[in-house]
Amino acid sequence: QNGAAQKRLLPSASCPALVTQIRFVKSALWYHGYDRPELHQLPADGSAGSRELLLAFSWLLHRLSLLEQLLVRNRVKTGDEASVCTCEDNLPSSQEGTAEAAAEGGLEDRVDVRYLQCLDGRLRFQWRSLHAQHQEQCKLLHKIHLFTSGSHMDKILGHFSVTETDLVRQPENYKQLFQLLESETMQLEAFLEWKQLEPVYWQWMETVLDDMAKEGNMCKSQDAHVEKRRLPEVTSCCPWAENLTGQMDRLSRDLMALQDQLHQLIIQRKAAWWEKVSFGGFSATARKIQESVERKLRDLTCFHAPKKNAMHGSCRLCVSREAVSAFSATEVIRELQMREASLQRELEQLREECRQRLDEIAQGLEGVICISP
Amino acid sequence: MSIVTVQLGQCGNQIGHEVFNTLCSDICGTHGLCSKKENESYHDSCKERFFCEEESGVPVARAVLVDMEPKVISQTLSMAARSGHWKYNSQAHFCQKQGSGNNWANGYSVHGPRHKEAIMNLVQKEAEKCDRLGGFFTIMSMAGGTGSGLGAFVTQCLRDAFPTSFILNHVIWPYGTGEVIVQNYNSVLTLSHLYQSSDALLVHENDVIHKICAQLMNIKQISFRDVNQVIAHQLGSVFQPAHTAGGGSGYSRNPLGSFQDPSLYTSWLNPQDAFNAWKTPRAFNKYEKSAALVSNSQFLLKPLDSIVGKAWNMFASKAYIHQYTKFGIQEEDFLDCFTTLEQVISSYTNL
Repeated sequence: QNGAAQKRLLPSASCPALVTQIRFVKSALWYHGYDRPELHQLPADGSAGSRELLLAFSWLLHRLSLLEQLLVRNRVKTGDEASVCTCEDNLPSSQEGTAEAAAEGGLEDRVDVRYLQCLDGRLRFQWRSLHAQHQEQCKLLHKIHLFTSGSHMDKILGHFSVTETDLVRQPENYKQLFQLLESETMQLEAFLEWKQLEPVYWQWMETVLDDMAKEGNMCKSQDAHVEKRRLPEVTSCCPWAENLTGQMDRLSRDLMALQDQLHQLIIQRKAAWWEKVSFGGFSATARKIQESVERKLRDLTCFHAPKKNAMHGSCRLCVSREAVSAFSATEVIRELQMREASLQRELEQLREECRQRLDEIAQGLEGVICISP
Repeated sequence: MSIVTVQLGQCGNQIGHEVFNTLCSDICGTHGLCSKKENESYHDSCKERFFCEEESGVPVARAVLVDMEPKVISQTLSMAARSGHWKYNSQAHFCQKQGSGNNWANGYSVHGPRHKEAIMNLVQKEAEKCDRLGGFFTIMSMAGGTGSGLGAFVTQCLRDAFPTSFILNHVIWPYGTGEVIVQNYNSVLTLSHLYQSSDALLVHENDVIHKICAQLMNIKQISFRDVNQVIAHQLGSVFQPAHTAGGGSGYSRNPLGSFQDPSLYTSWLNPQDAFNAWKTPRAFNKYEKSAALVSNSQFLLKPLDSIVGKAWNMFASKAYIHQYTKFGIQEEDFLDCFTTLEQVISSYTNL
């Protein structure tokens, strides 16, 4: 265990498939946030790196709950699956970001905007067809659930799933289903076994880390300046990775400052307003204004309220009168409607800004009337 | 995948009837010039698309009929029922006792809102009957009174109620020397409003169809029935499903020689993206070979420009505007419509 002769686990001859595989593994690790330079600097012919791979694997095991995810993935399907996602988009939409990109673009790769509009139309058509198919699936699922309700042994759920219904129609498929269930059971048993032995694995990993630390101290002199380098092949898939942490820090500082300022402003404005109002008798209008302000504030508070577990992932659709350990479709719909409303507002805002910019430009031109769409 | 058809006004209802007739006779025909399995698969696909299965066994068209007067609708319903091969749902129609006086503004601003709920209820019922709603197909004339004004309003309602559905508007382009004096106003108003709500406008020009009847088919006394049948035939051949040879629906991309000429297409779209060909081994209407071409081109630029020009000349002298303003269509609305169409003309001119 002194890291001397690394075991050669991979074929010594490098072939293109291997190179691609190695590149894929590196970029997948990078995507999940594993940026240990020793791994990313491993040679592309697979001639070295088994310890680094072991470290990366352990990291994934812990960080991604890899085994649990695999178990979920391999579950026997009920056929009632639907996917939910109410997460916020993670794409940065800052003005400066786009300006930078535009400057870098250059004139060589200009694409006609009409081609983009055409593609956009096609995309939207495909999306709509997908949407119609999803609706159809939900309709049919509902029919199945309705027709089989009351027949299930599980009295709380009450109705059959698609898989169960299919089994009623084609009983000869029971063999296949049985095999799948057996395989799932075996995986669960293996997982339980792993859970019992897991502490041993982590103890071993600690020794590996200790060994590495010792080696690191010995060759610290070689790599005096450890920099977080951005690898060229990788940046094409996440160019914003480096900016992100800096931006987040800046954002939280700005938000705190803004919050203080707003708080002060609110106090001042409220005081001034109540002074005015207490003289005149605009009670009705004052009430209306108060209500609309409260509504706007409510909209704003939902922006900075901590995102309470955004629903995400695959779940099972069922008709249920009582709340089992789940969330209701109406909740999800409401969340999505709120997001839709806020995105719509953002769109209107951006459109207004565009209109204003167009008007400004048009004013500079002689003899031109600008009619905005 | 199912399509709900909305037949609007006299024109829409008469053409709609011919379309369903053509589709049904194509499906029911046994001479598909292909294998039995292929024929069955075609049959099922088309049946689901345009018709609904009922207990009586007679297919019921997935359609809603709308008109301001009862005459055309009752004729349409009875003609279909008499055919014995298909029929309309006897409940799926809406009409009033009197007409709307051929007034676009009346149709759009008065009748539309007044009867919106009743009409949309009928549409909703048809939509719910579909397992998978592919979209809506509306048929109307562009320059008339009821079909046009009410049709523009109904299209808007469809868009509001079904924001994610595909809406295809079939519009009949009026004769150049038409009889309605305000037909150019109506056309401008209809087109600009449809442009906002619809996904695609499919146009048939009366003059062109008339020529087909006269020159290609050598019909001496051309009736509306002849014109409508030609239109229905063309629509039918476009709407029928296209299969791949392996059964089930699929599309094949098949570059045919001359259509790949890049000079046919705009500079910003390459021929592979711009041209799609769908084949089907099953013959349409017993033709051994047939082909239909639908194109989005500068073809309509001249007719559109001509209509907008004539309408503008009338508008400049404020002729007949009071007919519209008295029902709530103001001069500003006219200006907006002209602007929209000028943008369309400019986009197509600068292709």
